[in-house]
Amino acid sequence: MNPQFDPALDLSIKRIIKAPRAMVWEAWTDPRQLEQWWIPAPAKCRVAALDPMPGGAFETQISEGGAPFAPHVDGCFLAVDAGSRIVFTTALVAGWRPATNPFVTAIITLTDDPDGTAYAAHVMHKNGADRTMHDEAGFAAGWGTAIAQLANIVEG
Amino acid sequence: MILSLMANQIQQLDGIFQALSDPTRRAVVGRLGKGPASISDLAQPFDMALPSFMKHIGLLETTGLIRTHKTGRVRMCAIEKNGLRAVETWLSAQRALWEGRTDRLEQFVTKRQRKDTAS
Repeated sequence: MNPQFDPALDLSIKRIIKAPRAMVWEAWTDPRQLEQWWIPAPAKCRVAALDPMPGGAFETQISEGGAPFAPHVDGCFLAVDAGSRIVFTTALVAGWRPATNPFVTAIITLTDDPDGTAYAAHVMHKNGADRTMHDEAGFAAGWGTAIAQLANIVEG
Repeated sequence: MILSLMANQIQQLDGIFQALSDPTRRAVVGRLGKGPASISDLAQPFDMALPSFMKHIGLLETTGLIRTHKTGRVRMCAIEKNGLRAVETWLSAQRALWEGRTDRLEQFVTKRQRKDTAS
């Protein structure tokens, strides 16, 4: 199933990663590996739960400047196709229980490419104000970029 | 400072996303991205009674996505840059987050890959 792309709420990231698909898959699904790239240094990431199966917990925590670990992502997996696709959401938590702060659903797909792995992330955001609360630091970035660019996106 | 900035924008963002959830209004914003236009020019591509079209224009204006002014008997519409900037800022922040995440994944995996090949 390929949901429609909503330019006002969605992001699409595509990248060719020069490594075998199995390695990219492992980096996503092995908690010890995910911890090493999920959150930008110097902040530290701890995977509290990662159960790659439908309804399985996906919970990461963040520690900044030596502070105790605090909640980061709390959601669950919706679909997991070994080696090729991961769908997770923060609209539900482990066991498909409705979440308090639904925010995002992401579809990660891995396909073979002559140069390694074609990596794609389709990230869908909730239509609502709370999304602005998600990433305070990130929110500060990117002020004042070209208006025409958005007009193009919106038009599409 | 960031937090108060956000608090001020939350209400506006809500309205903006609601305004952009409609295909007619998205098309109007897209058209105005190329330059100002009169209401009648804007309405022309749509098979819609003028009062209905005016409701869309009214909502876009209230939200702060566009502004209108009268020159003679013609009402002209133009994009309101600050309104669009509020949306773009949010979306580009999310994009930066995911681009960064993907960069780090790529670096992490290719580093491991090189180690494997070397050993």
